[in-house]
Parts: sequence; structure tokens; C-alpha cells
Amino acid sequence: MTTRRVEVKVKPDGSVEADFAGFHGDDCLDEAQRLAEMLARFGLEVSPVAARKKTPAEIERETEAVGRVRGRDDARVPTRE
Amino acid sequence: MSVISSYRTKIRLASQRMVDGELDPTWRIMADALEAGAQEYGGRVTEHITDYYGRQTRCEFALVTPDFPRGVGVRVGAGGEVTFIYDHYGGYQRVAAEITERITQNYTALAVARALKELNYAVEMDEHRESAAPAGGSRRRAVVVRGSL
Repeated sequence: MTTRRVEVKVKPDGSVEADFAGFHGDDCLDEAQRLAEMLARFGLEVSPVAARKKTPAEIERETEAVGRVRGRDDARVPTRE
Repeated sequence: MSVISSYRTKIRLASQRMVDGELDPTWRIMADALEAGAQEYGGRVTEHITDYYGRQTRCEFALVTPDFPRGVGVRVGAGGEVTFIYDHYGGYQRVAAEITERITQNYTALAVARALKELNYAVEMDEHRESAAPAGGSRRRAVVVRGSL
């Protein structure tokens, strides 16, 4: 199973930048909505300001990171020998 | 997803501090945010601030630091809206604003971590200095909250 990751950068003024990785299709949008609803329960109202496409370097880093995590998961799967 | 989204945030605590005899989670996060700030600045958390004339004003929370002994106060309105209060007269504007930002940033990071945990993510948090410094200032702190599922 693909590892799903969320990275939220909190800036000094309290604004945030959120990056969802490992989600299929629009699943990340659903997850962003679930997170926003949960944040409201914990006293943080969020309103979207902007969205930007990831740079090729960011996509490459993300692919490498997911690959590393997958490798670790595979190593934990018991095998019959 | 090949998009990074930015959000503006606003803190709004529960209107009641106590629920069933326990501190409401939003008030707990605010208390923790101030406590973290107190540790970072070598200060302490109180329930009042002091003005230039030495008069005290009560508030729900306040953070007093060696650099700003008058303190930054947190007031919570009837609807849970949060207001920061302080007297910066005499050259304390920058330090008071910095403490206010730090409390806001701490609250936001703690709330994000708590929300991700509630959604069953394994959460870790770290901080780093931003690569660009504002004019006349030092590089500011960014907090990164990571969740994996």
C-alpha cells in the first residue's frame, strides 16, 4: 500500500502551506477537506489563499521519498523461504 | 498531487474554557502554545500584562519574557475570537510583535499536529530558519509538521 504523507509548513505569521503526497487522483482534495474540518475542531479556521504547481525538483524529491518508504515497508513483509 | 496549497489561518477558541470539568482542547492548545513560548524565551505564563505606568490588566493568558516584561496577553471574546494585547510604548513594538507571532505559530503547529493525529497519522514536527531574511531583521523560524499514514 502506498504511504500517504502530509507536510504542513507553518510560517511565522501562522499561515500554512500544505503538501499532500501519495494520494490518488482527487483523494488529496478530500483529505485536505477532512484536515480543514478537523483543524476547525481544534480552533483553527483555514481559508485557501493560493495554489502553485510543484517544481520538477519537488516532484522528484517526493518520488524518491515515497520510494524509500515503500522500500522500508517491503522489508517488513514476512516471506516464506 | 502536484500542487502545494497556501492557507490563511484564524484562531478561534471554544466559547467555554471548561467542558465537563476539563479544559477544552482549544484552550489546552493555547496554554501549550504559551508554555512553549515561555520555554523558548526563558519567560513565564501568567494571567495579566502590565502597561507603561505599571498598571495591570487581566487576561486569559499572558506571556512575560525577560526582553518584554510587560508581557503579551491573550484575550478570548464571547465567541472564542482571540485578541492579543500589549503596551509596546517605549520601543517594544518589534519584540511584542515577535512574541505575538510566536504564540500564533506555536498554536497553529500544535493544532495541525493534533488534527493529523486525530486522523490517525504518525506525526513529527521540526523547525528551521527561512532562507530569506526580512529587511532589517533576522531569518525567521518556520515549523514543519509531517504526518504519514
